[in-house]
Amino acid sequence: MKFQIDRETFLEGLQQVQHVVSTRTTLPILSNVLIEADGDELKLTTTDLDVGVSGRIKADIESGGASTLPARRLVNIIRELPSSDVAVEIDGDNVASIRSGPSFFKILGLDQEEFPPFPDFDEAKEFALDQKTLRDSLRKTSYAISTDETRYVLNGIFCSLKDGMMTLVATDGRRLAMVEHEVEFPAGNETDVIIPTKAVNELQRLLGEVGEVRVRITDSQIAFELNQNVLVSKLIEGNYPNFRQVIPGEANDRVTIEREVLLNSVHRVSLLTSEKSNSVKLMFEDDQLHITANSPEIGEAKESLHVQYKGKKMSIAFNPDFLMAPLRNLDQDEVFLDLIDEMSPGVLKVDEPFLYVLMPMRVSQ
Amino acid sequence: MEEGRRKIIHIDMDCFYAAIEMRERPELKGLPVAVGGRKRGVLTTCNYEARKYGCRSAMPTFQALERCPHLVLLPVRFELYRQESQRIRKIFAEFADLVEPLSLDEAYLDVSHLRSNPEAVAAEIRDRIRETTQLTASAGIAANKFLAKIASDWRKPDGQFAIREDEVEAFMKTLPIEKIWGVGQRTAEKIHRLGVRTCGDLQQMPLVELDRHFGKFGRDLYELSRGIDHRRVNPNRERKSVSNERTFFEDVTTSEQGLEKLTPLIEELAEDYRDKHRDRRIREGFVKLKFTDFSITTAQRSMQEVDATELRKLLLEAWERGGGRPVRLIGAGVRFVPLGEGESGGQMRMF
Repeated sequence: MKFQIDRETFLEGLQQVQHVVSTRTTLPILSNVLIEADGDELKLTTTDLDVGVSGRIKADIESGGASTLPARRLVNIIRELPSSDVAVEIDGDNVASIRSGPSFFKILGLDQEEFPPFPDFDEAKEFALDQKTLRDSLRKTSYAISTDETRYVLNGIFCSLKDGMMTLVATDGRRLAMVEHEVEFPAGNETDVIIPTKAVNELQRLLGEVGEVRVRITDSQIAFELNQNVLVSKLIEGNYPNFRQVIPGEANDRVTIEREVLLNSVHRVSLLTSEKSNSVKLMFEDDQLHITANSPEIGEAKESLHVQYKGKKMSIAFNPDFLMAPLRNLDQDEVFLDLIDEMSPGVLKVDEPFLYVLMPMRVSQ
Repeated sequence: MEEGRRKIIHIDMDCFYAAIEMRERPELKGLPVAVGGRKRGVLTTCNYEARKYGCRSAMPTFQALERCPHLVLLPVRFELYRQESQRIRKIFAEFADLVEPLSLDEAYLDVSHLRSNPEAVAAEIRDRIRETTQLTASAGIAANKFLAKIASDWRKPDGQFAIREDEVEAFMKTLPIEKIWGVGQRTAEKIHRLGVRTCGDLQQMPLVELDRHFGKFGRDLYELSRGIDHRRVNPNRERKSVSNERTFFEDVTTSEQGLEKLTPLIEELAEDYRDKHRDRRIREGFVKLKFTDFSITTAQRSMQEVDATELRKLLLEAWERGGGRPVRLIGAGVRFVPLGEGESGGQMRMF
């Protein structure tokens, strides 16, 4: 295999796939990127057996072929090359020669035969989604994914495609974020899957502002095809909890708040929380919101802001990080906080199909 | 990133419960003795005298009595065993901060910080245990938990064995795959069908192949068969769940049979919870099925106690997912609310 390529093109292509590469050193082939040269394109592929990514980039190919090279090392080399023209030649023993200006590198690769093949998607259900929609939806939900490994069904985003709707849900049992969008697909394609965190992270990296993403789903695998990339991942097996039942129905009181103002206030007040008392208290009365935090051994903080609230005086305590996470990931100027009482979940909404259920904290006082 | 060479000791008390009972009742000396719940119908443990007759822990009591009609069967006295275990753990604490108890009669110690030869340390610990409790312990010494645990079995009872760094390769080569943690009878059979008997054979198998056959466990096998194990000795390892499972000699083919098999599992689970984990709050229950093709499904839902009715529903739910595939293993268990996530002053949960 022999090709010439622009340094930046090569680097970008490699960076898009390198995050998947296994950090475990036990199997060298999983640390390698598969390079396939054909026509005027290079196809780059990595996998850790759970998640795999491939991408295509333009190259000037003199002779085609396939081989694998250590991904991280290759990225480090390409990044540092002195000239933007890079010439790569990989011989039959998988020894790569990389030339750029005055530099010459020789790296040892492994046979492409050893590289695990991507799974089969012959019997898959297919969907077409808008890239931007999916990207925004993931941004608005993924922060709520559980990191508790004992609850593995929560270690991903639940994706339901039913009744002409795509519903994405992430929760860790203390808060839950949900987004819904109308999507067209044949009725026979209805399905529920749980996409693991690592695949969600990779997907967010690949999704752009324009164009479609084609999604293919089998019993155990999911594939996303977009732009020049393909992402495949195992699905999480198991039953996602019945999240609909924890979404409160009618709220007693609705508060309308400016998103950034709330975010900044909570952030400042949270400076006086501690590990022991990690909560901020929100007290509502007559178009006023008072946010307070106090830690007996540190001190206290208080901020008051103007909101729209006509209900009775009430207060509720939340973990500040859980309150700030959705505020950081939404774009709307205004948010609505629906409350029932201090022991019931609060629901944060905006003027589009998004909601965030947040369980309060019990505070003694 | 690689840490320096570690010194790990695995201490395993020799037939702990039976040994305590024999110490308490010297008149039993020389007799085959077993400890076990008659109600549950299995031996919890038995002494070496009884093992000569083919008795084994976890063997159904009736079978044990068939093999050894004069077996002395004693009721289980957890309180007493717990007390002894406490005394032994105090001894461990004199040697290491990093002590990870696996059960009342087993623990890992990380003694990397001690300058002395870990084999001498192990011998000293065993001496101290003998002086304090008149009980014997066996020890395994190696650079990781996996090897230390295998080694403690090598000179049992009342002995110790070290696998030194330069011996690992030769040791693993001939080690039967059954010795690997997590390899049960069926997994062993499946591995045998691939023409693999020893860890040495297993080393010849490509990782991708192992992943294809055994999933994540296949990747563990890849490392374990080479004697590699990076798990740390974790003193705060908090029990996250308690469960009970059984692999059946004959596949279970109907959900009715499944429910029938599940009933004793739930009873034992409830007993385990009552006896050992009553201090923990339950968050959810689960039922696990392993099908004959080795795929696994787990059905779960939130519950606050060992709820037999709900667990039975979960079995049916999991059964449904199998679409009629025969089942070789049924498990039932409960997961706990993490310690420190108390009722008061804390974050409330929806599930």
